[in-house]
Amino acid sequence: MNTTARLECHDLSKRLPSGGHELVVLERVSFAVAAEEFVAILGPSGSGKSTLLGLLAGLDRPSSGQVLIDGQRIDDLSEDALSLLRRRKVGFVFQSFQLLGNLTALENVLLPLELAGVGGARERARELLEQVGLGERTHHYPAQLSGGEQQRVALARAFGPRPPVLFADEPTGNLDAATGARVLELLAGLREREGTTLVLVTHDREVARLAGRRIHLRAGLVERIEQGAGA
Amino acid sequence: MVLSGAVRESRGARGRLVFFVLCLALGVAAVTGVAALVASIESALRAQSRELLGADVSVDSRRAIPAEIDGFLLPGGGERSDVRELTTLASHAEVSRLVELKAVAPSFPFYGQVTLEPRARLGELLTPLTCAVSRDFMGEVGLALGDTLRIGGQEFSIAAAVVDEPGRLDIAFTLGPRVFVSLEGLARTKLETFGSRIRYRALYRLPEGTREDWTQRAKRRITEEYADAAYLRVESHGDAQPTVRRSIERFANFLGLVALLSLILGGTGVAQIVRAWISARTQSVAVLRVIGFRPRDVLAMYLGNVALLALAGSMIGALAGSLLPFAVVVAAPELIPKGHTVAWELGPLLQGLGLGLGVALIFSLPPLTAIWRVAPVRVLRSTVEPLPAPRSVTVCALLVLIVGVFAAAWTQAQQLALAASFTGGLAVLALVLAGSAKALTMLAARVPRTGLDPYLRHGIAALARPGVGVIGATVALGLGVLVVVSMVLIDERLATRLRGALPADAPSVFLVDVQPDQWDGVAAKLVELGATATQSVPVLTARLSSINGVDVKELAARRADDEGVGRQRWVLTREQRLTWMRELPKDNRVVEGALWSDPRCFELSLEQKFAEDLGVGLGDLLTFDVQGVPIELTVTSLRSVEWESFGINFFLVAEPGALDAAPHFLIAASRLEPEGELALQRALAADFPNVSPVRIRPILEKLLAIFSRLALGVRVLGLFTVVTGLTILAGVASSSAVHRGREVALLKTLGLTRLGVVRLLGLEFALVGFVAGTIGACAAFALAYAFLEFVVETPADLPWIALAPTALAVALLSAACGLAASARALTSRPIESLRG
Repeated sequence: MNTTARLECHDLSKRLPSGGHELVVLERVSFAVAAEEFVAILGPSGSGKSTLLGLLAGLDRPSSGQVLIDGQRIDDLSEDALSLLRRRKVGFVFQSFQLLGNLTALENVLLPLELAGVGGARERARELLEQVGLGERTHHYPAQLSGGEQQRVALARAFGPRPPVLFADEPTGNLDAATGARVLELLAGLREREGTTLVLVTHDREVARLAGRRIHLRAGLVERIEQGAGA
Repeated sequence: MVLSGAVRESRGARGRLVFFVLCLALGVAAVTGVAALVASIESALRAQSRELLGADVSVDSRRAIPAEIDGFLLPGGGERSDVRELTTLASHAEVSRLVELKAVAPSFPFYGQVTLEPRARLGELLTPLTCAVSRDFMGEVGLALGDTLRIGGQEFSIAAAVVDEPGRLDIAFTLGPRVFVSLEGLARTKLETFGSRIRYRALYRLPEGTREDWTQRAKRRITEEYADAAYLRVESHGDAQPTVRRSIERFANFLGLVALLSLILGGTGVAQIVRAWISARTQSVAVLRVIGFRPRDVLAMYLGNVALLALAGSMIGALAGSLLPFAVVVAAPELIPKGHTVAWELGPLLQGLGLGLGVALIFSLPPLTAIWRVAPVRVLRSTVEPLPAPRSVTVCALLVLIVGVFAAAWTQAQQLALAASFTGGLAVLALVLAGSAKALTMLAARVPRTGLDPYLRHGIAALARPGVGVIGATVALGLGVLVVVSMVLIDERLATRLRGALPADAPSVFLVDVQPDQWDGVAAKLVELGATATQSVPVLTARLSSINGVDVKELAARRADDEGVGRQRWVLTREQRLTWMRELPKDNRVVEGALWSDPRCFELSLEQKFAEDLGVGLGDLLTFDVQGVPIELTVTSLRSVEWESFGINFFLVAEPGALDAAPHFLIAASRLEPEGELALQRALAADFPNVSPVRIRPILEKLLAIFSRLALGVRVLGLFTVVTGLTILAGVASSSAVHRGREVALLKTLGLTRLGVVRLLGLEFALVGFVAGTIGACAAFALAYAFLEFVVETPADLPWIALAPTALAVALLSAACGLAASARALTSRPIESLRG
């Protein structure tokens, strides 16, 4: 395993103003994720999982502390610089799929590829859709696909530009157990093949079991970090 | 429960609700404002056209007008004033001249003023012993105030000079200068008892606020119920002047159209917003369905919500609209003179409120049927195949919409035929728009998007998006473009047409009774004085004695038995004026037969409508009694005449050679500067004392003022509609942009910069705008063409070349408005994409 830190956070805190006083959502969270590592962030509702994910991915700004991707600080980048960073380095999978309704499955996968200016985008998109078992449904619109199928399109989209880091936010949260398991299997397989660093947020221990490390959050604090049997 | 649900529902969608209210308020303001403005302009115009007639209604006859007629016209109060007119000789010292004597009651005229020098009121000035005389005539003969004029064997002292009087432009009957006396003054003379040809006239003033349609009904009742109606000619101020009347009709048609279209535009705006609203509320609808609401309960809730908002919007709009005339008075005082602003009236306000509510509800129905498409299972799964609404619901919503539009159109235009054709035309247009949009989405889905710029691809993909959003937006945008573009095209041309209704070379003076041997001298004088557009025609008076060998008296008697043909009877027996000429003037056009085409007989050309009144057509033989000599003329052509040209025109034109030898005189028309007119008067008085100049400049100026006012009104209303239309158009363009926040957040998460998002969304809005703009602009050009060519009957002469730039401009506008409305969405932060 490569031990270079792909993603680091130091003393990461997030406080939100709430009716006169400050609500502490995250408090001094620090850890590092190595390249090609699979880390799961676990915790009950309201423990700050999604907030942490947003901060790590540069979707939101911390109240204090630092986030580094490949050694570059991202917490002080401008909005547009963050966009460009995400284009190059970060992929996402969401609980509610978040496909663009007006684009076909293929076009949804193509969009980030073309944004990143990847050559042979079309072939890559087709190949990924085939890998997730949707080679026959490339011209369907999201509304014409089932939830599991949509999430598989989202996986293909996320892996398209070969992002070094992939963030997944409860990727099976909206799916039944069987479908969820299939999606998770695909996610793990793709990660393996592409050598992607994966940070996955979940409250499902079964899902987290696949991860190499599990970071348990409780009330905005890191409760414990546990080495897993997974990758 | 519905109400509380509605109130709760309105939480959290403030922006869109404000939009809804604004959209409707603008639509209602347009309708109320236009109505108030029209009422104000109409009130001003009515006053002006009443001034032309001097009364609300005038009844004319060769016999004394019985008091019975008052029963038809004055049941609600009002007043009658009698006028008698005759042509007679007036003499001063050695000079005798034919004058037009007008005997009036002190109340004459009801409207307008007889302008006198020195300033005075005619009614107060005239005593049985005094008269007022045309200033021109006084100058011509050399009369001064206080001089005596001998009329009908009695002496009248001249108390004032007449400068101007209200009256119809009735040149054909004007034979000499005007002299006013009182009715008692006329009674002193022996003129009435001699059975001379007196024209009796009763002028009526109707109670304030009498509607024109009431007057028209009263007129019809007189023709139908009064036994001797055949001897009467009844005119209301509404038909005082054919030219003005036609212009006012055109104006009213145009205004009806404008108001209706603004109303519909408001409606489409509402529909678009409701559509966007429902689609953003899909999840809530699904939740409501899950907890046990039936689709119709949800529909009732949303309708209740719409009704509340509509009430607010309509109230704001109605109030703002009623303020419009006041704003116009300040901005364009010449359009509505002081005192004619129709103040706060409950009626139009309530009508605006009702129309606003009605339009909001009926236009909300079709998009609200989308509620049926939301399956409760949506709560559990993020995306579910949409369910179609039951066919009966869709059909009902459409029917309600069509019937509603028709009802609104009827309320607004008060004309069944106009309302029906408006609704029909709109339905066809909406179908064409929807069909084109549908075809376009299909095309967009098929067109290979490979290799396209990803931004452009996204835009095309937006067009191909399954569902009804694009089609709805295209129809609404297209209708908006139709309204705005057609108004821009029509109002300017209509205004130009109105201003040009009086040709620049319209004569300013007529010369009556020029003897044939005097013409060369008179013409030379005119040239010397710088006259332009001089024309002269021979005139011969004659009576029609028979048609195809049947005596006209017999024909007249037959007609008296038929109902409603009194006027045609009068046409048969009156004294006719004929002229002859080789070629027709340019304001005449042969519409049937051919001019001077039959070498076997003497021919006659008739004005189309006059021939209808006479009941004759091509080939009929008319016999005239020309001072005892019967002359036979065969009708070989029918003409249309542009009376607006104010040239000398005749109903009857004979072939040259048929009448030339009969005793006749000449009528000349010429255009002179005001100083030239005075010089001409003096010259004529010196050299040709029998020739009477009749100046029509004051009447021309009055007409010109009316036309300018109409033209200005058209422009102001056109401008108002265009501004309203553009605002609502912007609203429609942006309504679909309001709920884009999440999409923008996602795009940013995927790595798109803000500029990239702007480019992407802008292209999408621009494409929809371009499509709607193209179809809407084509429809607008077609509508403007049809309206101008067939309703206004003026050459449309449209700038077809502007079609493409119009479509592009709409695309730009759509992109700009869409982006402006997405401003908040554009600032949405990528973190929002995590909050599924």
